[in-house]
Amino acid sequence: MPRIVDEKLMQKIKRHGAGGKLDVSACFNCGNCTAVCPLAQDSGGFPRRVIRMAQVGMERELLASEELWRCYACGECTQTCPRKADPAGFMAAARSYAISRFDLTGLAGLANRSALGNLLVFLFFSTFFSILLSSNGSFGHPELPIFQFLPGEWIHDIGVVLFAVVGLSAFLGLLSMTWRFWTMQRSRGVQLRLSAIPGAIFSALEDALLHRRFRNCDEEQTAVKGNQPWYLRPWTVHLAVMSGFLAMLLATTLDYMLKPIGSPVPPWYPMRLLGLIGGLVCLYGVSVVLVRRAKGGQAPYDRSSFADWFFPVLLFCTVVTGLLCEIVVYLPSPTALGHGIFFAHVVLAMDLVAMMPLTKFAHVLYRTLALALYALRHAPAKVTASVEARV
Amino acid sequence: MNTAIDSSYSPDVVVIGGGIAGLQSALDLADQGMSVLVVERNASIGGHMIELSKVFPTLDCASCITTPKMSAAAHHPNIQILTYTEVEAIESIEEHHVVRLLQKPTYVNFDKCIGCRLCEYACDTEYPDPFEQGLGSVRAIAVPFTNAIPQKAVLDAEHCGTCGTCARVCPTGAIEFDQQPRRLSIHTDAVILATGFQLNAVTIKPQYHASLSRDIISPLTLERLLAPHGPYGRVLRPSDGKIPSSVAFVQCAGSRDESIGVPYCSRVCCMYAIKQAMLLSGALPLADITIYYMDIRAFGKGYEQFYQNAKAMGINFVRGKVARIQPVDGSDLSVLVETTEDAENPMQEHRHDLVVLAQGMVPGWNPKGIVNADCAGDGFVATPQLTAPTATTAPGIFVAGAAAGPKDIVDSIAEAGAAAMQVSEYLYQKRSLTTVG
Repeated sequence: MPRIVDEKLMQKIKRHGAGGKLDVSACFNCGNCTAVCPLAQDSGGFPRRVIRMAQVGMERELLASEELWRCYACGECTQTCPRKADPAGFMAAARSYAISRFDLTGLAGLANRSALGNLLVFLFFSTFFSILLSSNGSFGHPELPIFQFLPGEWIHDIGVVLFAVVGLSAFLGLLSMTWRFWTMQRSRGVQLRLSAIPGAIFSALEDALLHRRFRNCDEEQTAVKGNQPWYLRPWTVHLAVMSGFLAMLLATTLDYMLKPIGSPVPPWYPMRLLGLIGGLVCLYGVSVVLVRRAKGGQAPYDRSSFADWFFPVLLFCTVVTGLLCEIVVYLPSPTALGHGIFFAHVVLAMDLVAMMPLTKFAHVLYRTLALALYALRHAPAKVTASVEARV
Repeated sequence: MNTAIDSSYSPDVVVIGGGIAGLQSALDLADQGMSVLVVERNASIGGHMIELSKVFPTLDCASCITTPKMSAAAHHPNIQILTYTEVEAIESIEEHHVVRLLQKPTYVNFDKCIGCRLCEYACDTEYPDPFEQGLGSVRAIAVPFTNAIPQKAVLDAEHCGTCGTCARVCPTGAIEFDQQPRRLSIHTDAVILATGFQLNAVTIKPQYHASLSRDIISPLTLERLLAPHGPYGRVLRPSDGKIPSSVAFVQCAGSRDESIGVPYCSRVCCMYAIKQAMLLSGALPLADITIYYMDIRAFGKGYEQFYQNAKAMGINFVRGKVARIQPVDGSDLSVLVETTEDAENPMQEHRHDLVVLAQGMVPGWNPKGIVNADCAGDGFVATPQLTAPTATTAPGIFVAGAAAGPKDIVDSIAEAGAAAMQVSEYLYQKRSLTTVG
């Protein structure tokens, strides 16, 4: 297969870097980043090799490299880089670039390259959902319960369509990545075993849900950077965000399937309790993330792009308005304020879902897929009969 | 303490630092008839070179080259030497310099001491020998090392138990417990800064865990292990005294690394690592020797051939920056590296039982507040004039050797000669102008 070189690749990736400060061209390929990385020990495939791909313009190889997504941005490589080339920052920028390239609508590119583009996309979706929701809302009647102010059925109908559209878009993105990976492996003569696919998917989901490899990053951090209390370690914090979010998603889905829409239930009703706890856990995690970014300090939190801020802030606002809704429903009479909060929450939640394949949020898709592809590529080869006979 | 010199002595030139660069400058000037004072902060002249076993690329014995230079300087009629002396200030007034010196007390009268070492043999207090990089031990009163110049005993007040035995056994009554620091002001026309370098700490990179193992050593420690008159007389592991079977050299461990604040190349590490690897393969014929490097900088005369010889000798060269060193399984040292030359198996972990960190060269002395010569961004004395490479920013103050930047012995000696010539020219012009005026 011919190698196609994109001489502008590095410039394109740089546009995704934090504050335009990313300068990985200082890299002289010493390999410190790979050797120091607690996650690259088995393959040695990143960050140096991925940086090299970008340096020499091998875009196809870069996008087909599942190694890009095996990095959890602990920042160890950036802290020890002899050239201050910021490999962790590069990996983050390259992932953002990959999200833009996998997305077929072109919106991801707009959202990830600049703060303005990001805001434009956000405003577009916010306006769209506001208009859509308002079209069936009953404004000027503050005495109405919130699910009559915005009819629950209407919200759910929009939600189902939204999930279907986003699901399709995400699926196409995943397909794009898988196709690139597959053809690259084929061109390299790597024999992928179809029978290993279920095992690979299982191991990827298991790793994603339990953050198993992420934990390695954390241990490295505590060894070198001194002890952080367990509740502040990146592993715990990220797990809190993810599990909290999943709990809320599950609660919403079950709620929709098992219960008449808008019927009042006490807080200890299982689904509502699950959502409430999930919300609090997620709020804790996302708050720690935001405080850490605001404080700056050690890599990778010393540099934040707009996109780095956008996703956690959006998540934070969504969760906070959601939790406020939980309080608002106990007010003696629903008020305009209550309606406003509820309206904002529904719009933000829809923004969050709609922008999932476009923002940093997309890592949940691509990282999980990358873990599966990695497991597939490294699945032990089947022992053939002849080899067995020789043994 | 040398009391033969007082403030009435005003030499033509004062050389700060008695290492190979300072001695070469002093000898070149003295041979032209100028009077030179050499100021050395340690108890002996000779600098780092006298600590080395052999030099690259000729594999000549280092002390066989240094000792004659030291001796020549010590016996030169135009050279005076003050050891154990710190420079407190160099005040420059219209191209005239007053060098303010502080002679630290040695508690031994140098006029009386005959270097017989009876005090050393009688002393029963020992401490880790700084000359042997802490591997051997030295008595609290001792001649600094075998071929030290001057051959005078120095009492280390920090470790002395003040038992008085040395004073009782001294045949000439040279021990003076009441010696006080002595201040001198030397007037001179020119100063050469030859203050050399020091290595940054082996613990500077936390990922190398040098604080956890005594077998992660500095290259100067290995020089002592390799020296025929070294602490053990052979190469042994400092931790348990075993003969190492696998030795690793980790290059760029203290330089070319912005994460520890030393972005520049120390220039000598590639070559001394190759030299030490060669000497080790002689001392330990059965040992595996590996050099981990980013790129080999063998730029001097005969250096590339030296490198090729090492490769031909079977020394293993692995390209890649070592990211971590960790003590494992009791006494092994695990070295983690991504070798960029092995595409199939880039991540490698190798086990060694002795690791030598190529520490970076950093300035040996900070002139700030002492002399008004400026330093460059890297901390070494600045030499801004391309056509006068030994001139500092202060008139009449010159620099030679590693004080101006990392340098090997050959370059240091060449630069010391250049500094001497520039000083000589400077003084000639200054004096002929004065005479005419």
